[in-house]
Amino acid sequence: MTKFWADLNAGFADWMPQLLWACLQTLQLTALTFLVAVPLGLIIVGMRLSSRKPLKWFAVGLIEVARGTPALVILFVVYFGLPSAFPGLSLNSLTAAVVGLGLQGGAILAEIFRSGIEAIDRGQREASLTIGLTPRQAMIDVIAPQAWRIALPPVGNYVVGLLKDTSIASIIAAPELMLRAKDLASSSFMPMQLYVLAALLYFLMSYPLSQFFRHLERRVIPGWRTR
Amino acid sequence: MERYFTFLLGGVWVSVQAAAGALIFATLLGLLLALMLLSRNGLLFYIARAWVELIRGTPALAQLFILYFGLADFGLRMHPLVAAIVGLGINGSAYLAEIFRSGIQAVDHGQTEAGRSLGLSPFWVTYDVVLPQAGRMMVPPFVNYGVQLLKDTSLISTIAVPEIMFRARNLVMETYDSMTIYLLVAALYLSISIPLSQLASYLQARSMRASQ
Repeated sequence: MTKFWADLNAGFADWMPQLLWACLQTLQLTALTFLVAVPLGLIIVGMRLSSRKPLKWFAVGLIEVARGTPALVILFVVYFGLPSAFPGLSLNSLTAAVVGLGLQGGAILAEIFRSGIEAIDRGQREASLTIGLTPRQAMIDVIAPQAWRIALPPVGNYVVGLLKDTSIASIIAAPELMLRAKDLASSSFMPMQLYVLAALLYFLMSYPLSQFFRHLERRVIPGWRTR
Repeated sequence: MERYFTFLLGGVWVSVQAAAGALIFATLLGLLLALMLLSRNGLLFYIARAWVELIRGTPALAQLFILYFGLADFGLRMHPLVAAIVGLGINGSAYLAEIFRSGIQAVDHGQTEAGRSLGLSPFWVTYDVVLPQAGRMMVPPFVNYGVQLLKDTSLISTIAVPEIMFRARNLVMETYDSMTIYLLVAALYLSISIPLSQLASYLQARSMRASQ
């Protein structure tokens, strides 16, 4: 145990700036993925709820496949598979990670959005149509403002999960915290110290994030209940 | 293609073993943690709470690396499959503890009071009244956790457990046929995860009907 602290003490000043920089890269990867996943999720849920059968079944298939496959496999298909099948279509590791995780995130968010929309009483839509709103207006002005409150808690869980799942991108060498920890661990031969530090840094990012979402829920959900 | 398939199928068996081992480990530890979370002893409660938050706040990959590479550096060299089962089991214990706890707490307190006023002892109230109702509520999230766990076994390829993904990576190194192989891997995972998640939504629908 003393060896642990002595080694940690020796390396700490050297590692910490690099690990903190890598934390920013992890946050960047999380943010970029989220920015891809949200519009994609909206498109997929639009197709999923569409009355056109082919669109609907395409969305169902996409959701099942993207959610049922491990993120690691999706990343490997995008990063290694695509360039081998279509020469010239090679993405760098960061882009591949954003595309792969974003694709899976889009499917996860689509299901979250759908459950939010379907939780709104059908009468709301019927009433909107009765007073002369178009289906589009009913969705945007009546259903969506209520549905997003229901969707917020699972979206928060998704974001916190995503922050941790970005660690998987280290396996395709995308620049983020886990990769930096792995590199430092193999150059210093101190895996325990570095992986514990990395785990702590993940915790220091994900715990405040989950508390933030909990705070947001508390502010938003009472407003929904009083209605 | 057929050669790939037979080779990868051997990995499916390893993945299922790892998932089953981790599921048992996580269930036992999760039950213990849930009891601690529900206990009136402040110390036990805070230990369990901290464990759950710490485990849920860190990536499974980091946990696996600490167990496998970190401990090896301190003289505890685990068999990769053992490290995988313990690592994924520890990871799952935090999620299952919350599932078990919320299931038990979701049973109306009036049920306990009614059981007690009928003269049942606290033990029998828990065993005969609370747990059967709580259990029904826990089943769908438990199966969902199983699906998640199965997908997470792909991570143990990084600590050299010869499961589906590890074998696929070796095949690719030999053949460079990465698209075919990784799509085949995806299909193998889907062939297990889709039926399992269908089961979860069926059970969910059934338990919702039962509670109405």
